[in-house]
Amino acid sequence: MIYLFQVLNGIGLGMLYFLLAVGLSVIFGLLQFVNFAHGAFYLLGAYLTYDLTMRGFSFWLAMPLATLAVAGIAALIEVVLLHRIYKLPHTFHILVTVGLALIVQELVIIAWGPLGGSVPAPAGLQGVFIMGDFIYPQYRLFTIAFTAVLAGLLWWLLEGTRLGAIVRGGSESPANMALLGYNTLRINTAVFGFGAGLAGLAGALAAPIRGVEPFMGVEALSVAFVVVVIGGMGSYTGALVAGLLVGVVQSVMTTLWPEGARLMIYVGMALVIALMPRGLLGRA
Amino acid sequence: MNPLDKPPVQLGLALLTVLVLPLVLKSGILATEILIFAMVVAACNLLLGYTGLLSFGQGIFFGIGTYAAGICLTRWSIPVPVVLGGAALLGALTATLVGWLSIRRQGVYFVMLTLAFSQLFYFVAYTFSDLTGGDNGLLGVPRPSVGGTALNTPWAYYTFVAVCFVTVFALLVMVTQSTFGRTLIAIRENEGRAAAIGFPTRLFKIEAFAISGAVTAFSGALHAMLIGVAPLSNIEYHTSELILIMTIIGGSSSLFGSVLGAGFYLLLADALSTVWPRWLLLLGLVLVTVALFLQRGLWGLVERGYDLIFRRGRSIDSETPAKEH
Repeated sequence: MIYLFQVLNGIGLGMLYFLLAVGLSVIFGLLQFVNFAHGAFYLLGAYLTYDLTMRGFSFWLAMPLATLAVAGIAALIEVVLLHRIYKLPHTFHILVTVGLALIVQELVIIAWGPLGGSVPAPAGLQGVFIMGDFIYPQYRLFTIAFTAVLAGLLWWLLEGTRLGAIVRGGSESPANMALLGYNTLRINTAVFGFGAGLAGLAGALAAPIRGVEPFMGVEALSVAFVVVVIGGMGSYTGALVAGLLVGVVQSVMTTLWPEGARLMIYVGMALVIALMPRGLLGRA
Repeated sequence: MNPLDKPPVQLGLALLTVLVLPLVLKSGILATEILIFAMVVAACNLLLGYTGLLSFGQGIFFGIGTYAAGICLTRWSIPVPVVLGGAALLGALTATLVGWLSIRRQGVYFVMLTLAFSQLFYFVAYTFSDLTGGDNGLLGVPRPSVGGTALNTPWAYYTFVAVCFVTVFALLVMVTQSTFGRTLIAIRENEGRAAAIGFPTRLFKIEAFAISGAVTAFSGALHAMLIGVAPLSNIEYHTSELILIMTIIGGSSSLFGSVLGAGFYLLLADALSTVWPRWLLLLGLVLVTVALFLQRGLWGLVERGYDLIFRRGRSIDSETPAKEH
């Protein structure tokens, strides 16, 4: 029974990892831009949710507001700063986004203090779900269901709509998209905001589960990297499979070997890379 | 070739640094720390500037060296040169392994892999706390005398580290001037062509990793002896990030740029962190500024200044940004 719980926990965790990784992957795919500030957007999403619920807003309002705010802030940063450096070598992408991540992290500490806090589960989902012997927190069940629906929507958006086609076309050849009359600058901004918004949403959803603290962004960033490395960059299915895999491995290991649970994620990644250098489903 | 890049000039600048630091700094500990990180950053530069490999895992080797010294010196009485040599060897072996796995992917994947490996080693150190002291680190790392010379004052230890620094820096300059170093540059510029000529490029990259790892771990061991602790933070993601930041700020086109980068960062940190605990905010702004306006780093500024004074009228090529690696 305990394993069932841990697998469920892992699926919930894994879906959040998937959201993070897909955002990172979409941004990289279109812009060829390495975003080390991705964890900072996750951090910001969590803290904005924390702040809004502390002010008495309902979680159901705070979550979308925080997500939109993160997307807006990211789009603004893209317009003001990032579009200037796309053409530079990756070294400078990393330098700028590491700088941005530091700035966001320090601003968060200035605004909310270094200690962090907890976010209560939203009204209506504070209890547990009981079915015979099976008892499980309602909010965690909700995140699994919600992110599953979201994953379906994302798939439809990226693979089934004109918008997704534009994004994929832009990844293949920005010049051709511009020739076809698309405003690639605006698409870039929108996609960056969208990817960062997904990270913000992951942060907002994670806040009631794990609380908030100023350094949660770093861990999120490296997990997103692991997921992308295992799943293959630019692969939606890869991010989903790898996200779930990493989440479940981490959760199950928490029961078997609590101290080594997070270590096992990285050991798993090293094994995948040693055996399959391109990742599980990687194309690049 | 810019005259500033000539090996005797680079070595002369390194020697000058060793002599000037005691004159301008009150704290022997800070001066020693600058030299230690100057070696670490130069080793990172061997990968970034010469081989074109942006390694986000240099903290792994630094931490390995720190723990090697911490474990050996707190448990047994092994002579310091043996400890330092052992740390360097262990660093080279670890770097060979990390390098071998990481260079299976290129570009951004390579960077992400090295970062993920730095997390892996962090959690190894965190998990096996019997050996590493976990969160607390290893306390009470002694600083034994070397060859009968006591190193118990900050400036005595500075002198010892200065000798190490000059030696290591000279070795790195020799490496970059050698056929091996030239081949690394060829790989950076065009890996396909270097492979087509017949160079085993992957082997060369792994060897560059091994050298970089050896120097970094050696410096990590010196660092443990400096602060008397082998802290968990030395193997953290932040240390890797820090080393990379120093390398890029210093400028990756010359080894002495790395000394500038280490010195600039540590002096800035020393000055600002006492004034304002949230000074990392300012560091973030510095990083953005460097990327936008100072792409060749502090060394680029030095080159520009030199050109202005001594080579007036000649073409200034120092403003072109670094090539895509």
